[in-house]
Amino acid sequence: MLYRSVDRRHALAAAALGRNPATPGPVADEGELLHAVTGEILDISPHLIIIETPDGRHERLVIAPWATAWRGETVAPADLPRGSQVIVRAVQGGRVAERIWADITRITGVIQNVGKGARDRTMELYCGPHRGRRTVVIPYGASGRLQVRHPKFEPGYLFDAIGVREDGVSHARLPATSQPPYRWTSVPEQPPSYGGAQSRISGTATWSDAFDLDERGAAYPMLESSDSECDEAGVSCARLPYLALGSMLEMRNVCTGRTSIVPIVTCGCLAGRFCDRCLECGTSPRGRIAELSPSSFVELGGDLTTGCFNARVGLG
Amino acid sequence: MTQVSQVWITIAAAQIPVLAVLLALGMAAKIRTVTNNSEPGGMSGLGPAVLVAEKWRAPAMLGCAAGEAFLLGGLMLTGHPFFRWGAVAFFAVSAYVLWELRRRRPDAGCGCFGDVSSIPVGARSLARTVVLTAMAAGTVWVGPAPGWSVLAGISWIEGLAMAGGLLLVAALSPEIEEAAARIRYRVPCEQRRMDPETALNRLRASAAWQAHMRFLASPDPVDSWRELCWRFFAYPGRGPEGNRLEVVFAVHLIGRRPAVRVALVDAEGRPVAVEPVTVGHSRPEPVSARSQPRSGRMLTRARHAARHNSALYGSLASPLESRIEG
Repeated sequence: MLYRSVDRRHALAAAALGRNPATPGPVADEGELLHAVTGEILDISPHLIIIETPDGRHERLVIAPWATAWRGETVAPADLPRGSQVIVRAVQGGRVAERIWADITRITGVIQNVGKGARDRTMELYCGPHRGRRTVVIPYGASGRLQVRHPKFEPGYLFDAIGVREDGVSHARLPATSQPPYRWTSVPEQPPSYGGAQSRISGTATWSDAFDLDERGAAYPMLESSDSECDEAGVSCARLPYLALGSMLEMRNVCTGRTSIVPIVTCGCLAGRFCDRCLECGTSPRGRIAELSPSSFVELGGDLTTGCFNARVGLG
Repeated sequence: MTQVSQVWITIAAAQIPVLAVLLALGMAAKIRTVTNNSEPGGMSGLGPAVLVAEKWRAPAMLGCAAGEAFLLGGLMLTGHPFFRWGAVAFFAVSAYVLWELRRRRPDAGCGCFGDVSSIPVGARSLARTVVLTAMAAGTVWVGPAPGWSVLAGISWIEGLAMAGGLLLVAALSPEIEEAAARIRYRVPCEQRRMDPETALNRLRASAAWQAHMRFLASPDPVDSWRELCWRFFAYPGRGPEGNRLEVVFAVHLIGRRPAVRVALVDAEGRPVAVEPVTVGHSRPEPVSARSQPRSGRMLTRARHAARHNSALYGSLASPLESRIEG
């Protein structure tokens, strides 16, 4: 079967079922809209940052007095090096920067092997059929903090950390979650819900660096393998319904009260294998609903260094 | 021997078949769990397998089943004290293992009856093992009669004692509620795996397909995807004026003659209105999930489906809405 562009799917499904197609993007229902501005720092001062966006535009943003920046650790915005890839959370129509993440990366995968070394160690991860393998460095200074939340640095166990990308190499800095105690092939089956169809699905929304910096979208675990060309799809810890690439999720950040319509653009085969909870505001139900692109995550009010927010997608 | 002690021995002897039934059920369920364990790690929440390394879980489960088969055979075919004491030891060790399991893995089920025993070990499971240990201990003082002879010459006292033993064990078995719930439960359609080929075959047997075939430029779909309880098939098509279109069919995944919806969409994604061909010989099938039921059973199913759709898709004004909404 010829595999067509999934962009048309939502419009075609809407036409067949007689509904109005949804427009992706933030829903302006509560508070001021947040904007994610991404690109490379051309120049930065304590009050102004100039960014070259992926499409070649130059964005000049005022740095708010309360703004903070992160590059492996919290730093003053003016200390960020030129040439860094940044994601900026901006307010006031996208003109005022209030949070800047520089060279941030998220390392989510299955441990394949861990190098031996007295100080820094390298770890090879399998990040799913679409993302392949990647090698990350576990710096000696961060290994204690990482191993408190990831006690099993052993092949077959999941790993999820936030780090920085320096000279093309990813360095893990912070654990993004507590490591699941099971191997990645042993995802516990969730008890069935006897109450019938769920009208709301709550869980955790995380982010992933598998997207382009300025891309808006989500990776969703419960896709049919035949529709998504992903043999490892269809595993979920949150009892999610089947959707398709091109479907629209109306994702709500329960912590900030922000809602956004996000298209499903890729398979979240690893997200479905985490049965963790987010503690951003209260304790979320178990399981990851979706992995968002960094821009979508930021526009929903998420903090990239925290790594998750309590999310809800509704079915009615 | 006094009459009272004679009655007690009769009651104790009647528990041999009760123990045998429990051992047989446990053995069969464990073997079934291991043989059906297609998903790696499917036994990750079941004791006592959960207490050992992953590669030893299936052997541990099978070892347990073998022990039960050995005791079952011994209790039913012989009256040798070795098997009676063996049953006491087996259930006493089981009680200890369950206690340990509850302490070390409070989320794991006991696994006593395979994957049906997946709910966490509680006081009832523990009490049941203690009761079984007591029953097994009682059989030690019974004469060397094998279990089958108890069944063969059963008296009314033994029958009552056996029924009482079974009722007591049933009352202490959370698996009964779990099994009943599993029988009642059906995975909601939006979470159920469905074969795309089945949906395609049902589409091709539908009146909507017959009515819109003339618009298709190719009999093979160029794209197919699934959203909740619908599978969509997109075909290249041509309109009445020869303009290029896409014909998209939505097939509901429930039922042998499911609801089928169809739309013709132009290059800009706008629906195009056309007059479909009326097909006289084909049987009409429902065109929406709210078709009229024809019998009482169908009425119940339709009501259930309506409730399900209402919860899943929101307002009844647009039951086919499948966009996930917050």
